[in-house]
Amino acid sequence: MNIYDSHSALKKKKISSLELITEALKKAHQNKNNSFISLTSDLALNQARTADEEISARGPRSWLHGIPYSLKDLFITKGIRTTAGSKILFNYVPPYDGFISKKISNAGGVLMGKVSCDEFGMGSTNENTPFGPVHHPLNPEFVAGGSSGGSAASVAEGSAAFSMGTDTGGSIRLPANFCGLVGFKPTYGRVSRYGQIAYGSSLDQAGPITHSVLDAACVMEFITEKDLLDVTNVANKKMSVVHELEKIKSGYLKDKTIGFSQEFIDACDPEVRNSLNDALKIFENEGAKLKNISLPHLKYSVAAYYLIATSEASTNLARYDGIHFGFRDKMSSKNLEDTYIRSRTLGFGEEVRKRIILGTFSLSAGYQDQYFAQACKVRRKIYEDFTTAFFQCDAIFSPVCASVAFKQGESKQDPIKMYMNDLYTIPVNLAGLPGLAIPFGHHKGLPTGFQLIGKSFQDEELLKIGHAFESVVKG
Amino acid sequence: MNYDVVIGLEVHAQLSTLTKAWCQCEISVSAFENTKVCEVCSAQPGTLPVYNKKAIEYAIKLGLATNSRINKVSVFDRKNYFYPDLPKGYQITQFQTPVAENGHLDIFDDEGNIKKVGIQRIQMEEDTGKSSHLGEKSLINLNRSGTPLLEIVSEPHMSTAKEASSYLKKLHSILVYLGICHGNMQDGNFRCDVNVSIKPKGSEKYGTRTEVKNVNSFRHVEMCIEHEVQRHQQILDSGNKVLQQTLLFDVETKATKVLRTKSDADDYRYFPEPDLLPLIISDSEIQKVQDNLPELPDAKIKRFILDYGIPAYDANVLTAEKELANYFEAALKNYEGEAKKMSNWIMVELLRYLNEAGTSIERSPVSPNSLAGLLNAINSGKISGKQAKDVFLKMYDSGHSADVIIKEMGLEQISDEKMITEIAQKIINANSVNVEKYKAGNERIFGFFVGQVMKETNGQANPSLTSEIIKRLLG
Repeated sequence: MNIYDSHSALKKKKISSLELITEALKKAHQNKNNSFISLTSDLALNQARTADEEISARGPRSWLHGIPYSLKDLFITKGIRTTAGSKILFNYVPPYDGFISKKISNAGGVLMGKVSCDEFGMGSTNENTPFGPVHHPLNPEFVAGGSSGGSAASVAEGSAAFSMGTDTGGSIRLPANFCGLVGFKPTYGRVSRYGQIAYGSSLDQAGPITHSVLDAACVMEFITEKDLLDVTNVANKKMSVVHELEKIKSGYLKDKTIGFSQEFIDACDPEVRNSLNDALKIFENEGAKLKNISLPHLKYSVAAYYLIATSEASTNLARYDGIHFGFRDKMSSKNLEDTYIRSRTLGFGEEVRKRIILGTFSLSAGYQDQYFAQACKVRRKIYEDFTTAFFQCDAIFSPVCASVAFKQGESKQDPIKMYMNDLYTIPVNLAGLPGLAIPFGHHKGLPTGFQLIGKSFQDEELLKIGHAFESVVKG
Repeated sequence: MNYDVVIGLEVHAQLSTLTKAWCQCEISVSAFENTKVCEVCSAQPGTLPVYNKKAIEYAIKLGLATNSRINKVSVFDRKNYFYPDLPKGYQITQFQTPVAENGHLDIFDDEGNIKKVGIQRIQMEEDTGKSSHLGEKSLINLNRSGTPLLEIVSEPHMSTAKEASSYLKKLHSILVYLGICHGNMQDGNFRCDVNVSIKPKGSEKYGTRTEVKNVNSFRHVEMCIEHEVQRHQQILDSGNKVLQQTLLFDVETKATKVLRTKSDADDYRYFPEPDLLPLIISDSEIQKVQDNLPELPDAKIKRFILDYGIPAYDANVLTAEKELANYFEAALKNYEGEAKKMSNWIMVELLRYLNEAGTSIERSPVSPNSLAGLLNAINSGKISGKQAKDVFLKMYDSGHSADVIIKEMGLEQISDEKMITEIAQKIINANSVNVEKYKAGNERIFGFFVGQVMKETNGQANPSLTSEIIKRLLG
């Protein structure tokens, strides 16, 4: 079930929203991949009925009207429990509506429910959550990827036509890549973060997980409106690119220069490497010039990321103190400090506690210059690497991950190795650039794919290049 | 041993903007608990701060009024600490680069000479909520949470309690003149932290300082400085060391008590607030604020001395409060005599009664116009200066004009020359013995005649006219 075709069917009255939702709800109720934390069936059925009335009267008012979608549980939904995949917010019902929820709802999207994620977006496997791991939709022994694992699984299993995820270091692109879907992280500042529970504020960006680049473009039109409640939402231009994508057949890639780093490709597992080389060949066959580029500082990106993201997280998560909302350990409360310690120790999972401690250390007096400040300098260098590279190419082709989806449980064995898996997605967040994960090929039943990285605030061009590639492959 | 005293002051001034620093909540001290609170100032997950443009304008105003350099680019930082009245777990403030730096104010030192007190920095930040305790329970009121503050940090340039309070009064009057702070100290609009240290006379090296938190009146600031200086002297004279401590001033005992002993472990982990962009202030914005600055106390003092010919002391007293200065100028409008006389009446009579009643000039029962009427009555000889004081009291109690009271009291002075001459002649005729004495050279007997005329006229005869007439009649 994709957005674009479902929209056409709704428009031509070949199908009703209620039929789409009923079909999706069936999958959601099975919940075989453990995608959902909170299912909003009644709301979805009501919204579908309303949508059908509106559509039969005036036709669909947007690409998303009457279309089922799911939201990562980091997105604030007024009156609907929002957990961030954490025990500390297990009973938190927000008193306000976030930007994403409001915009998609205004466009007529039908919310199926809130889907799982690694706690506060911290993880690459969607195993770091008390709500249980999300399974790979094609093979339950594998992970769906994270942190937006529930988003990817819900789209892949058909309980939603699209899902909104968040991406701090690859959390949209990695699960999309593992599950054979398109994942788009827009330029930092393109989509408002208001109502998105923060992990690393200077890195976090919301984006869609969809079946196609065209679908991603359909969603982007409704979430790129300027939002005055997020001052880092600096983009003024609402995206309107679907009609341009519709016109792209073949030939668009001619005269485009695609940069790539041979070093990165060679470092991948053989099955991923083969898929990457095949994809590059298609670009070449379509008339694109390939250019081997150098990004010398990207090797430091994992170290820089885990200092910056955790530093920001250590203070973003300070508000979960057992006082104002969320989990408070009732047994403790001997005194204030005891309440803080016990609520936070019992409320946060292990990975979150680890990252809070790391971030607190990185910002500490006497260490801040060595760690946090140094990481910020590295970040600048990485940005400059990309700026230099973009003088020579229109987009950069890169792996999303060196391997296909991991086995469940594997990540616990070697956490540093697990962090290193983010090597290809993290630099994009550090530089604030748009990144688009595109599925291409399979290996032993697990999807492979690649990533295209675009110029800052040229998200439209990146989507066009991605869509042109997809058009060639899908024919 | 003789010591030099070193005093520095940190003032927290609540800005009188209509709404809070980062959200649209109304600022109100009188509202019912937790009714002026939204998702932002209660730190709900996913919320973000948005600048209050008025608060920025106010900060620029104070910067310009204190001769400070306005930083074209300043940065907001997070100050991290846990406390129940701080729902985010951090305070947004300015650390590395504040909005304004390197200013100064002119005050009078104890000898009456002008002294420059440096202002190190003016930074924008936010107020916390308020905690209160009810038996076993602690209650939190977030109405104040997120109220914009300016923290004004002086250089340690003051050396007596008097100087410190002069500086504070000057700063307070500037804030109120600018209309950016209500300045009600009892409401906590203007709060002061006092830093005191002493060192052997002439020594270059600063002594260990103590900080007294939240001293909320000018008088208490003086008292607490005198107390601390004495305490430090006793400690040093007895060969002990002053501990670096944070103290509270106890109004009852008029002494300081220890809040906490400072250690190097205080670590607020300051780092740039990723949810706000650096604050950029353009030359044209600065110019616009500059063009709209009201007349400030110093300029007003100069103008009062020059235009009205009143002494510097008077000008200082009359300009300490904007409303008082306005009163003075309003009173002069309908007054035809010397300004100094008006100044005396305001400073000596009016302010005394207002102070005794604990009320402010705005609520004066005697209007500027009425006071002018009273003084005009004196100058025209309608009533004597002595009578005027009684009239004034009645005016103060009733709120009536001078003319009404004078009529009521039957006090109108007799300035009818013919009438006084008749009375005087009668008295001279009836007291030939005293006339002889006077003529023999006993000038003191002159008063007898004046007194008799007064007696005859119930004190209503114009005294100077009476003297003149008697002198003439006695030849």
